[in-house]
Amino acid sequence: MDKTDNDRVSELDRHLVEFAQLLRTVGLKISPSEIVDATEGITLIGLADRKRVEAVLQATLVKDVRNILAFKEAFRAYFASVEQKDAWQKAVEQKETQWNAQMESTRQDLCFQGNELDITEEQRAVYASLPEKDKKRILDFLEKSSNGMKSGVPVDQTYQPTVERVIRGSLEYWRKKLDEDEQISTPGTTDGILSEVERSLRDREVEVLSQDLKKISAEEWPEVIRLIRRLSQRLASQVTRRYRAARRRGGLDMRTTLRKNLRYGGVLVERSYRSRRKERPRIVLLCDISGSMLKYTEFILQFIYGLSSVVRGIKTFAFGQALMPLTGKLRKEQTLEGLVKEALSATGKEWGGGTNLANALETMKTQFPDVLTKQTLLLIVSDAQTLEGEKAAALLKGISHQVRQVLWLNTLPERRWAETPYVKLFIPSCLMYECYTLAHLTRILSKQF
Amino acid sequence: MDKQMTLDQFENALEDIGYITERDDRIALTAFLATELGKPLLVSGPAGVGKTEIAKVLSQVFGAPLIRLQCYEGLDETKALYEWNYQRQLLKIQMGREHLEEADLFSTEYLLPRPLLQALLSQERTVLLIDEIDKTDSEFEAFLFELLGEFQVTIPEMGTIKAKERPIVVLTSNGERELSDGLKRRCIFLHVEPPSVNKEVRILRAKIPDLPDRLALEVARAVNILRERLALNKIPSVSETMDWAKALLVMGKTTLDPAWVDATLTLLLKSQDDVELFYREMGAERLLFESCKLAQGERHSHGQNRQ
Repeated sequence: MDKTDNDRVSELDRHLVEFAQLLRTVGLKISPSEIVDATEGITLIGLADRKRVEAVLQATLVKDVRNILAFKEAFRAYFASVEQKDAWQKAVEQKETQWNAQMESTRQDLCFQGNELDITEEQRAVYASLPEKDKKRILDFLEKSSNGMKSGVPVDQTYQPTVERVIRGSLEYWRKKLDEDEQISTPGTTDGILSEVERSLRDREVEVLSQDLKKISAEEWPEVIRLIRRLSQRLASQVTRRYRAARRRGGLDMRTTLRKNLRYGGVLVERSYRSRRKERPRIVLLCDISGSMLKYTEFILQFIYGLSSVVRGIKTFAFGQALMPLTGKLRKEQTLEGLVKEALSATGKEWGGGTNLANALETMKTQFPDVLTKQTLLLIVSDAQTLEGEKAAALLKGISHQVRQVLWLNTLPERRWAETPYVKLFIPSCLMYECYTLAHLTRILSKQF
Repeated sequence: MDKQMTLDQFENALEDIGYITERDDRIALTAFLATELGKPLLVSGPAGVGKTEIAKVLSQVFGAPLIRLQCYEGLDETKALYEWNYQRQLLKIQMGREHLEEADLFSTEYLLPRPLLQALLSQERTVLLIDEIDKTDSEFEAFLFELLGEFQVTIPEMGTIKAKERPIVVLTSNGERELSDGLKRRCIFLHVEPPSVNKEVRILRAKIPDLPDRLALEVARAVNILRERLALNKIPSVSETMDWAKALLVMGKTTLDPAWVDATLTLLLKSQDDVELFYREMGAERLLFESCKLAQGERHSHGQNRQ
């Protein structure tokens, strides 16, 4: 191989590695050995035909059906014409300049007596994406407090922390509100190709799987229900890792065999085998139905239906302020609201109010001690926003020793967990997963079972 | 067959034995890549799109015997790889108590090779089909790593057995369970979608030579509509399409009509839920109407292409 040939190969390698990096950024897992496969594949098939090259790269780099779309978009963008790439790059740069200008103007806007406020970049971003009317309200407040009087004396710099606290609180409120509708316009990446891939993926993201469960429309529910049913089936037929003696096949059970054959003087005449024991876990479902979880009630209800259609004897509890056992037969046309109301009238409690997990767990322990056994899989669906968090965490710890496993499906995105005070207290005693799309649910169940 | 085959030769070989591929489905290219790189081929896709068929076809093209391991929940190495022939070992012990050495009992004579070991021990190249790998548990998957990566297995009593001739490995998965990253990394991946109308017509014509062209086209279009428009629990497979076409042929039909669709529907939809869904959301009349619309669409796009 002469030198120019060598150079050409390394150029190909460089492109492949770069392309793999791009794929990693959009969420694919790619190992070096797979890049080697891709290189070998390309060397075998040749670079003449674009479609074939795409097929080779897909076969060697993409190992999951769900990633095919992302791969296609990445391939299209990475191997686009130079002019096209330049155009994307320019668009990104323009966007970034705009963003910087916007941030600069917020820096000037958010001042107290000429001093810049001490708030985070994210909070500034929230301010920048607010409608003009609401921006004006914040500005008015700043202006008034800058020129305010306290006991007849004009306020001075010492009041800045107080003002900052108010502004932070207000921006936090807006962040939560905006975040739900995903309106905060962060500049994102500075790479033209990547931003193009992300844009096209966002445009195509109509798939039910990746949608937030509270936003799924009525027409999409049948599809969702089918999926939940399928997932529940898997949950129900979980195989235990233990072996037990059985008549037929599954490896020789040496211990029992020796024991049985002692009477023949150690000659192994009768053999016994092991096989997997199929054991269904007893599922206890504990659903949060407090105000903050209202948007997910449809999901919870379908999850209960799905589970109860394949697993018999599933125990369901709902909790808000207090624990409510949701017993009796579930009817298809029933809503969760109706179900809860029925339970409420039976127990004489009221709907709504805050969340108190500690209370719920305590009631469960004292009034329903028989549901917490070594076979129990305790499934908690909640956003972990509760009163008496410390007490709840201590109770959960106790329960986690009593049952086989505690699974917590948290409808709050993982990146927000740090801000929810008690999440880190709960995590040691359960397996917590973020779960607000069906893709999450699928992933959790395939990881767990 | 010559080992150094080019892609074009491979595609021709597939055509010669009557396996229909299209360029867009990439089946030929990916299978070729896997065999040339000596990597296992992992095929995923819904049931009945011809995943298992790929292994059979490869076995024909390369003239290699097909060894099949059907996976199921609870499958373990004693059924997949090897087991000691206990009965024979016991007999041996009884026969020659004094002069027996341990090595005598753990030799290939007393080994019952199961599919995986058969593929490794075979003197000629084989095609090893590991069907529905997603039905097994993750321990078994991990156990396969050594086989798929190095084409060897380790038997504690005997040592490592290396493949005499590397088998062509095909794994299939219906996607019931997420496969581990380790397994996926070792494989070349192919996702098979249900065939397009065009491809299915070609399959029907190849497999049922007596089938009139018009009926083949109508059948393929109708099945395509069923697969795409209805959220069925189980979409009709290619073999079910063939059964349907054959049934219609036997009845002497040359074209589809609603009464006959009703009468033969159970050849395509095999669960009560799906049949109910069909009548609730579509019905035979509508199915034929949609097929006609599809045909018009095809003609229209052809017309545009010509312009």
